[in-house]
Amino acid sequence: MSKEKKVIIIPCSGVGKSFGTVSRMAAYQVTEDDRPATTQLVPLALLVLGDEEARETVENNPVVVIDGCQLACAKKMVLESGGTVSKEMAVLDFYRQNRELKPQGISQLNEGGKKLASVIAAAVDLVVDELTEEGGKNG
Amino acid sequence: MADRLQKKVGIVTCSGEELAEGTVSRLAALKVLEKLRPDDTVTICLPLFLAGGEGDRAFAKFYPTITIDGCDKRCAYRGTQKYSNTPAASIVITDLAAEQALGEIEGKSDLNAAGLTAVDLAAEQAAGQVDELLGKHWSRREGAFTQTNPKDEDSHEVTATCSCGSGIPVQLFEIDGRKFEIVALPLLFKTFSGQRKAPSDDTLKEIIAEVRIYNVIEPENETALIDKIDQAYQDYWKDNESKHEQN
Repeated sequence: MSKEKKVIIIPCSGVGKSFGTVSRMAAYQVTEDDRPATTQLVPLALLVLGDEEARETVENNPVVVIDGCQLACAKKMVLESGGTVSKEMAVLDFYRQNRELKPQGISQLNEGGKKLASVIAAAVDLVVDELTEEGGKNG
Repeated sequence: MADRLQKKVGIVTCSGEELAEGTVSRLAALKVLEKLRPDDTVTICLPLFLAGGEGDRAFAKFYPTITIDGCDKRCAYRGTQKYSNTPAASIVITDLAAEQALGEIEGKSDLNAAGLTAVDLAAEQAAGQVDELLGKHWSRREGAFTQTNPKDEDSHEVTATCSCGSGIPVQLFEIDGRKFEIVALPLLFKTFSGQRKAPSDDTLKEIIAEVRIYNVIEPENETALIDKIDQAYQDYWKDNESKHEQN
């Protein structure tokens, strides 16, 4: 993992629900396509295991979590790991605002799910821009 | 005794969102859960061992578990072992890809051919492990196999569901302002009631023996907790009888 300051994106690792897949797709879009230079994805499993490097990364960088359900595992694990959540996103909230984009399918998201992931990614992009701009001003 | 509850195998997968092999592990798990062995498998998200409750942490004690990991960090295996119970079997995608000379796996959101082949191979391997595990007697008391008991069932495709928010069902009791979670009690009540075991001293003894498989009952709370469980089963039985009469 890079030691350079980046915005850390942590999606839900949900296996059995479409919302989990949506959160991952949104995270991939941000970290690979939209803001690859200023973001980094950290897998939740490393935080679960208390991986030192992952803990250090969330402790020392702003973190955006994208949770798939109300259990908010991503948020809880960041806090448990000594990090601070700069922005908490919930797939369910975005779905409530975009009822026409009902996600279906887990291994293969339907069009609604893909569009919902893009909507979330766009919102995360804005947060990343704000955080990196603040970082630039402060740093 | 523990055989009275339906036997299934738990599949815990890597959440490796940063690796294409993580995607392979999740898709392989889904293929087992939805297509290959839908009647015999359940899943749970790895983070729930920490973010969830006692019912979630009891997952691998309750089910013999297969972990599917993306890389040799083996987060699913180690996480399950650390927070719940030692997995009964495991698969590591990078090892599988090397053994089968699949080539480099790429594409986190859109797997390449090597990745798709790895999904199929890992799913087949896991399905075989499910069969093997269910062909043996898994003792929930011991968390290990005790004897063989071959099994042969057809499968059909269903939608996988995870254990988010539920894990193993628990029942809550309050004693002197302190809350107690009894893991698997709702399932035990359902099973005993299904066997038409009416509330009695003997039935209570059997229920408590089962409860002790999944829960530690501290001596200082034992009497009060057993009374609560006794009352809860009587209430459950009455409710069920009323429902039967109405039907």
